[in-house]
Amino acid sequence: MIKLENISFDHCIKCTVCTIYCPVARVTHLYPGPKQSGPDTERLRIKNPELLDISLKYCSNCKRCEIACPSDVKIADIIQTAKWRYSKKELRIRDFLLSRTDLMGTFGTLFSVIVNFFTHLGIVKYFLDVIFKIPSGRTFPNYASGTFTRWFKAVRKQQSTYADKVVYFHGCYVNYNYPQLGKDVVKVLNALGKGVILTKEKCCGVPLIANGYIKKAQSHGRHNIKVLSSALSDEKTKIVSASSSCTLALKHEYPNLLELDNSPILNTIAYITQFILEEFEKGNILSLQPLSYTVAYHSPCHLERMGSAAFTIELLRKIPALTVKILHSECCGISGTYGFKNEYYGISQSVGNELFRIIEEAKPDFVVTDCETCKWQIEMNTKYKVVHPISLLAEAIE
Amino acid sequence: MRYDCIIIGAGVAGLTAGIRCAKEGLHTAIISSGMSALHFSSGSIDLLGYRDNTVVYKPFEAIDQLTGTIAQHPYTKCGKPLIIEALLFFKQECELQGLFLFDNGNLNHFHVTTLGTLKPTYFSQRSVFNEEVYSRFKAMKKIVIINFEGYRDFHPQLAAAQLSKHALFANCDIVAKQIEMPQLQDDGKHPHEFRSVDIARIFEKEDNIEKIADVIRLAADDADFVVMPAVMGITNFNQIHNKLQSRTRLLVYEVPTLPPSILGMRIDNALKSRFAELGGVYIAGDKVVRADITDDVVNAIYTNSHPENPMEAQCYILSTGSFFSGGLVSEFNNMYEPIFKLKLHHEPERNKWYNQNFFHSDSHGFLQYGVLTDESLHPYDSNNNIIQNLYCSGAIMAHYNPIKEGCGSGVAISTGYKAAGQIVNLLKHMS
Amino acid sequence: MKTLEAEVIVIGGGATGCGVLRDCTLRGIDAILIEKNDIASGTTGRNHGLLHSGARYAVRDLESATECIKENRILKKIAWHCIEPTGGLFITLPEDDPNYHNRLLEACKFAGIDAKEISVKKALSIEPNCNPNILSAVWVPDGTIDPFRLTSANILDSIERGSKVCTHTEVERIMLKQNQVIGVQCYDKTAGEYLEIYAPIIVNASGVWGQHICKTAGIELKMFPSKGSMVIIDYRINNVVVNRCRVPSDGDIIVPGDTVSLIGTTSRKIPYDTIDELVVDDDEIDVLLSDGEKLIPNVSRARVLRAYCGVRPLIAVSGEMDGRDISRGVVLIDHKERDNVQGLITIAGGKLMTYRLMAEMTTDLIAKKLGNSKRCLTHKIPLPGSEKRVGYTKKIKYFSGIPNSVVGSTHYRHGERVHNILSLKKRNYGLLCECEMVTLGEVEYAIKNLKVNDIVDLRRRTRIGMGPCQGELCAYRAAGLFTEFGDFTPDESTKLLRDFLEERFKGVKPVLWGDGLREFEFTYWIYQGLFGLGLVEDNNT
Repeated sequence: MIKLENISFDHCIKCTVCTIYCPVARVTHLYPGPKQSGPDTERLRIKNPELLDISLKYCSNCKRCEIACPSDVKIADIIQTAKWRYSKKELRIRDFLLSRTDLMGTFGTLFSVIVNFFTHLGIVKYFLDVIFKIPSGRTFPNYASGTFTRWFKAVRKQQSTYADKVVYFHGCYVNYNYPQLGKDVVKVLNALGKGVILTKEKCCGVPLIANGYIKKAQSHGRHNIKVLSSALSDEKTKIVSASSSCTLALKHEYPNLLELDNSPILNTIAYITQFILEEFEKGNILSLQPLSYTVAYHSPCHLERMGSAAFTIELLRKIPALTVKILHSECCGISGTYGFKNEYYGISQSVGNELFRIIEEAKPDFVVTDCETCKWQIEMNTKYKVVHPISLLAEAIE
Repeated sequence: MRYDCIIIGAGVAGLTAGIRCAKEGLHTAIISSGMSALHFSSGSIDLLGYRDNTVVYKPFEAIDQLTGTIAQHPYTKCGKPLIIEALLFFKQECELQGLFLFDNGNLNHFHVTTLGTLKPTYFSQRSVFNEEVYSRFKAMKKIVIINFEGYRDFHPQLAAAQLSKHALFANCDIVAKQIEMPQLQDDGKHPHEFRSVDIARIFEKEDNIEKIADVIRLAADDADFVVMPAVMGITNFNQIHNKLQSRTRLLVYEVPTLPPSILGMRIDNALKSRFAELGGVYIAGDKVVRADITDDVVNAIYTNSHPENPMEAQCYILSTGSFFSGGLVSEFNNMYEPIFKLKLHHEPERNKWYNQNFFHSDSHGFLQYGVLTDESLHPYDSNNNIIQNLYCSGAIMAHYNPIKEGCGSGVAISTGYKAAGQIVNLLKHMS
Repeated sequence: MKTLEAEVIVIGGGATGCGVLRDCTLRGIDAILIEKNDIASGTTGRNHGLLHSGARYAVRDLESATECIKENRILKKIAWHCIEPTGGLFITLPEDDPNYHNRLLEACKFAGIDAKEISVKKALSIEPNCNPNILSAVWVPDGTIDPFRLTSANILDSIERGSKVCTHTEVERIMLKQNQVIGVQCYDKTAGEYLEIYAPIIVNASGVWGQHICKTAGIELKMFPSKGSMVIIDYRINNVVVNRCRVPSDGDIIVPGDTVSLIGTTSRKIPYDTIDELVVDDDEIDVLLSDGEKLIPNVSRARVLRAYCGVRPLIAVSGEMDGRDISRGVVLIDHKERDNVQGLITIAGGKLMTYRLMAEMTTDLIAKKLGNSKRCLTHKIPLPGSEKRVGYTKKIKYFSGIPNSVVGSTHYRHGERVHNILSLKKRNYGLLCECEMVTLGEVEYAIKNLKVNDIVDLRRRTRIGMGPCQGELCAYRAAGLFTEFGDFTPDESTKLLRDFLEERFKGVKPVLWGDGLREFEFTYWIYQGLFGLGLVEDNNT
């Protein structure tokens, strides 16, 4: 018997709404849906852990069930917890590597030319498929030739000249794959008169949680809370992130799933578009050049879960001449490392089909979204490029 | 974040209000914590179905009587002319999204329920009521009620037995049939695991409709009217309905099932997409947890995800629903409205909250409980002061029983429309 | 008028009555059981399902305690699928007498109950959700027993071996010829007709209703009905039985039972004429929750699913006044000795888990009267479902393809008989009740084999509607199946649905607040708002 802390399953009144909006249950019969995998069977698992249904592993943790739930049941958290608490742990090299983004990133950026070359080679992909069960259909993101943190060293001094500071939690994607986004963030924040501070952060822990490495995720979490809170010079300093999943982890997953006390930083973390809009409201406005593009905006699941997609949309609407088509909210399917595994690849592609279809229908110049893994998925499955809203904003600033 | 108007709750009331505000050019946000009660509703709009347990045939006459006698009823606060205006507004906005609502002039019409009973209602979707159905039902000779083999949430034989007892169908032969869903490759989700949405998604695949129509046609035999569970698609339902009817050459009628309600989801989708089209901001999955009020004016509200970042508006509408939706909270011996701590109408003793039987003819007291408001739909705080920039609409309001009176969606639409109207007038007046 | 004949009539389908029926059947005695409602619908179905180690009675009632531990061991062998040998704790709270546990330990030793003191740290590791401020803890071999499964298995065994069971049949009077009983006259509520059954021996195992039954034979049998109320928490907040280590009083035990936990109990004397209209009082709910919270703090956060009460069928053997102190020992009365009425036996008192012993005592007496020399075998022959002892893991493997939760739940309820229920046909393991994982196969099995007359009976055999939703989705799903698997017309099925919802509401209304109120509002919206079920009788516009 375990000590019961998260008893939100008790609030479930069996309305079935979560299962309607689950993108995985929609495409496959292998997954009975969040209601059954979460609150229904949690009552049985408490009684006897052997009553765990292996089908709950198909949950991709997109959290759309929680968005739909009228009873405040932390359905996705219940399922993730059941995955690592009750199920047999299979130590697979693949899962280890996929979740150690700092490790892989450091290696990848050091040898980026070689790594990028090999991850696009058909024979290597075949090898990865057969040995590691990483689907050969999946396109790997490229590693940058140098990390964002290395680039930042050059501008750090200049950042300290600003009177107001903002702590930027850059995340692994910016650091190892696409430092340009980080540079855009710095540009935008500087334009708002804010100097950027970086901390010695570690990976936020999302891939670790997804692959069941809870203790490691907790240790990363504790570390991040510590370094972030010590970087707050006064009560007005904010922490921003341009990654929807990192923000979700810092705000929600740390306390709810990892049982960490993030109160030192909770009220200072903001997703970047929310932060920028609030600055605008205080009168700190940016003068923006018109960008006459037609873009299609896709709201990432984790951003919606935080009720923050509305901020990105508002911000995009402030860019003059920009035509923004808001795509109907659909999960892209990749769900982080989920789409990098053979056993879920087919499901992940099926889930994303609807989104790909409506993107094609919208015929934008390009797609805008906040989440890096959504970007990989959309670029792999449609002919459109994907741009982060901040990069677009950076372009509009002159 | 600042808006002209923030609406808390995305049910029928909140969405109606939101659409009206957005249409008038107000920068409007709707914050919703979870999906609304539309997901288990009948998908029809109930205006006023019963008074004193007797069926109402002429709802507008009954509303006249009601507004003349029950001062505290939400309809009385709206007045008949506004109710009519609100209904028309609602119908037109839905139509713009391809959801057509049909009515019987100034009379209620009846829709068939899952159990085969008949319930009075005012607006229904095309597959539930339209001119053709109305003109032909009296002359019907044979009705076949079908279900898809394995679907647990609809029992056609129970519906057939119940419907047969009705005087209207005395000369009509009503039979129940189970039909097998045609072999569809796909992912092989088994019928015995289906919910209504699963079948609806099968219907939505273009290639499947013809096969399904043929199976229905076969089962219908010599019947002229097919009644089936409401699974005819969530998005392209009009098209599917047309295809089914033209290919089978039968009238196809939908009956609501156990949740999820496909009929209700169509309305939900139509309202939400209309709101988005008008530039409204919809924030899903976030719960408003507290408000900052000074001198009877709401300054800001705070949500679960943004506990320290205020969301501010000139005016606010509280349409958070009843207990199910979390608009009202009950405890061991107490109940309250969780965000603004508004004054409630309720009995303090818990044993008065309910009646002795589940199906008691007086229904249950708690369904009437809710927030008290003045004529303009402003609620009162715990000190009996009205909160000037806050309005209430929908199931959170007191003094009506949506089930006993059969008026849930009617009240939601009317009060949502009225609250929005108040705000529009106020803000436009100010600018 | 329909008539039947037998050697023995057993009145009362509680645990004792069913046990007597089975014991008779195994000894080759021709017996019929008559029950006015459904089996286990009286006190048997309304206690907290505790498989006593006897520790609770050790201090005050040594005789009871000794009986308990013996039967505890027997039941674990013959009825293992009805039992969960969870173990139990007696915990001393800061406000309790710190020395009581010593008295407990000593008394247990005397009674042969292997209770042992354990450290607080160990206790908290066994039961992490327990109050962390306890002073001391004693481990005892308590367990839980499901009364519905138990009685159902006894009935099933008897029927399979040729005996007859008549449920929903009420005895109106005992028929006498001079001083000898010749049979009973009853009314079959389902068929709507009278029935006479002839037998030279009648066993009154009707529990608290015995006073009325005996009266029809002109016998005075004074009973002291004492009401005991319980609340059910909608999930399992503890995994072992948690007792409060003090003199037994209200609200001092929390028993886990399958997927829920029960907090018990109270003891209120009630007038005899109210035994059929029992109501849980608000102050009882108050005391159970506040005392329960002291044992397990999570009680304050948990949803209270239902509240219900049962009546202790206590017979005064020598004029005690308070229900709690009257001996809970077994009372076996041969009315020939006491009232000069030949052939009538009353068996009463005792507790759920001593049912087999009580049945043995009764059947020994019956056998003597009939000149039957067969020995009792009920302690040796396992009940149906308990034939082979196989754990979950093997069963889950056997039925691979069906989700673990479904196999596990069905096996938990029916033991070995799971093989008669589940098959790999998808329709068979489609779920009707999603809270408790009740499949269509299980419902079919119950309707066809387990004497199910309505959805309330079905609930007792399968747990349908006993989870958090209290029938919200499964009630309608099940109703339709009565037309398919039973002999019910669609109209009858619709009526069953309505009756079931009314029955569920009885237990829900005393605790109608919080999530329970939300659940009820939702259920009411569906069945009254959406279905118009309340209109069914008067749909004639």
